[in-house]
Amino acid sequence: MVLEIVVMVKQVPDSQEVVIDPVTMNLNRSMTRNVTNRADENALEAALQIKDKTPANITVVSMGPPQAESTMIECLARGADRAILVSDRALGGADTYPTGLTVASAISKLDHFDIIFAGEESSDSSTGHVGPGVAEFLGIDQITYCSKIQYEDGYVTAERELEDGTEVVKCPTPVLVTVLLNSNYPRRQTLRRKIDAVRKGMEVWNIEKLELKPEWVGVRGSPTIVRRMQSIKEKQREGKKVTLEQIPDLVKELYEKKIIREVH
Amino acid sequence: MTGLRYAKPVDNPNEWRNVFVYLENGNGKLKRVALEMIGAGKALAEKVSEKLVGILIGDKIEEMAREAAAYGCDVILGAQSPDLRQFRTIPYANIVGEFVEAEKPNVFLIPATRNGRDLASRIAVKCQAGVTADCTELDIEKDTRILSAHRPTYGESMLAEILCRKHRPQMATARAGIFKVPEKTQDPSACTITIKDVSVDKKYLAKEILEFRPKNKVDLTAASVVVSGGLGLGSPEGFKLIEELASVLGGEVGASRPTADLGWISRDHQVGQTGTTVRPRLYVAVGISGKIQHIMGMKNSETVISINTDPQAEIVKYSDYFINEDYKKALPALIEAIKSYKNADNEVAPAVQNQGGLAEGSQ
Ligand SMILES: Cc1cc2nc3c(=O)[nH]c(=O)nc-3n(C[C@H](O)[C@H](O)[C@H](O)COP(=O)(O)OP(=O)(O)OC[C@H]3O[C@@H](n4cnc5c(N)ncnc54)[C@H](O)[C@@H]3O)c2cc1C
Ligand SMILES: Nc1ncnc2c1ncn2[C@@H]1O[C@H](COP(=O)(O)O)[C@@H](O)[C@H]1O
Repeated sequence: MVLEIVVMVKQVPDSQEVVIDPVTMNLNRSMTRNVTNRADENALEAALQIKDKTPANITVVSMGPPQAESTMIECLARGADRAILVSDRALGGADTYPTGLTVASAISKLDHFDIIFAGEESSDSSTGHVGPGVAEFLGIDQITYCSKIQYEDGYVTAERELEDGTEVVKCPTPVLVTVLLNSNYPRRQTLRRKIDAVRKGMEVWNIEKLELKPEWVGVRGSPTIVRRMQSIKEKQREGKKVTLEQIPDLVKELYEKKIIREVH
Repeated sequence: MTGLRYAKPVDNPNEWRNVFVYLENGNGKLKRVALEMIGAGKALAEKVSEKLVGILIGDKIEEMAREAAAYGCDVILGAQSPDLRQFRTIPYANIVGEFVEAEKPNVFLIPATRNGRDLASRIAVKCQAGVTADCTELDIEKDTRILSAHRPTYGESMLAEILCRKHRPQMATARAGIFKVPEKTQDPSACTITIKDVSVDKKYLAKEILEFRPKNKVDLTAASVVVSGGLGLGSPEGFKLIEELASVLGGEVGASRPTADLGWISRDHQVGQTGTTVRPRLYVAVGISGKIQHIMGMKNSETVISINTDPQAEIVKYSDYFINEDYKKALPALIEAIKSYKNADNEVAPAVQNQGGLAEGSQ
């Protein structure tokens, strides 16, 4: 039996100098270069490592605008077997709820799935909510914040990194696994695979195909709205230069300002 | 309750009352972040004259419940079972979902910890409601009882105010280390504690926790001095000097993410977007370039000193003092200066010291 693996990937703006549309208060994506969310590259690599040992089919699924094609092709070139981009005008402005609903609906259209991988979070919205949301929509278990992910005989084993320790978890499939950023080294795309990937191309699905109504998805289907965006007032700091010779003076000043205090 | 269901506005928002907070249980103890949620939730509940309801799940939870009561909860709804000793997504989410359905809270706060985030969006989907992630400021409008949740976005450069007008509960995950722990002053008998003994269907226990390897606990959020090392240390040995400076200052050791990725230091020392948010009196950044994800975790420090060989490093903008030197020279100098100041302070009478200061100044 061939293991069916799904990897959820998102295209994100690369730059930190993002431009915000003053009207919609959303990101102006036309101004920035787009890349694959880095944790999602780790998620794809986790899937590929399972496929190195066990016969598997890897499908990458993304919800995004047409330009996410470059991400889809990149995933194919790294070794994914199939790429599905869910793209539709109605999907714009989605918060995590309809994003999860849309991705879960796409996954539910596949014949079968055993493991779904997602990144721990996306670098642009950094909620980490979409993965667990998809697991809930599909009614399956999840293991979040994982590294050292292995598959054997119907079970996934992984290490979950928590604030106060590491949990080793074993869970039967089907299961959704979210993968930590930098938890592995994503393999390179080979030229041969790149050529194949472009030839194979991605599939584009719209919301009719997913049997979703326009009012359920995108901005209309989002329970949260952004009322305001403010730039955060940064505390201005002087960056006063201190030479090696001036270090004793600095220490004196810090003591006098009670920034350094006696330790009891 | 699962299925491909859309987010559904509630018919009558007025039916939804009170503020829920999820009390995260770490191995049978209330986590500090649970107390922070009580602090954040209490402020909201008081503003609209509603009750603060703590949700607590685990095994043998009476004592934790009493403690949460002393921190100011009006009601505690608990569920306990030996099968709930460890956090597991599905049984925990099911129980919380049932509490929400039964009690219809207006607001629900969950800490944005890893297990809190693991749980929060599943609950939101169960309730067909919205959730705002990773909030750092929370307020509520008195008349409408609409939660105003603020979260940093776009690399922490902007603060977004997010509302959820039509769906209930209005959920938010709140970042650890931001909200104040309230005073432990309430008489626990002022709180109504209800704990149910529940049995968990075996099918929800399929996920096994084979092992838990605890870390030596470092509580960076409570530290008044943090000395952090970055990749500029060049090797794990560099952390020895970091530890020494932290120790003479009575502080804790912090780190940038890549040093933790490389295993130079354990993850619990990591400061930043995906690590801990700190706000100490003094933050010393050593060999750290000052990438935005790191800055996010330390920029609210009172005073920042950075040590970096690169005069153009971004960290300079976020520093009050900048030592443009190799840390191998700067740190021993700093440690030495602190030690000798301490010694001088202990042995030399203040008057003599003042004279010394004057003499220097008059030259
Ligand atoms: C989604 C996401 C989340 C992230 N979360 C975090 C996070 O929580 N925390 C975090 O820290 N990072 C995080 N990062 C990583 C972050 O972007 C940076 O890569 C990281 O902070 C850089 O670490 P650094 O400053 O130690 O290393 P570098 O950027 O390599 O900087 C090293 C610095 O050391 C200086 N240096 C070199 N030699 C010496 C010497 N001998 N003496 C003194 N100085 C010297 C160099 O001039 C340089 O400025 C995250 C990234 C992503 C994409
Ligand atoms: N539009 C999307 N399409 C496919 N997967 C997504 C999308 N948005 C988020 N994800 C997945 O969910 C993870 C967490 O994203 P987030 O909840 O936005 O932090 C990402 O790392 C992706 O794996």
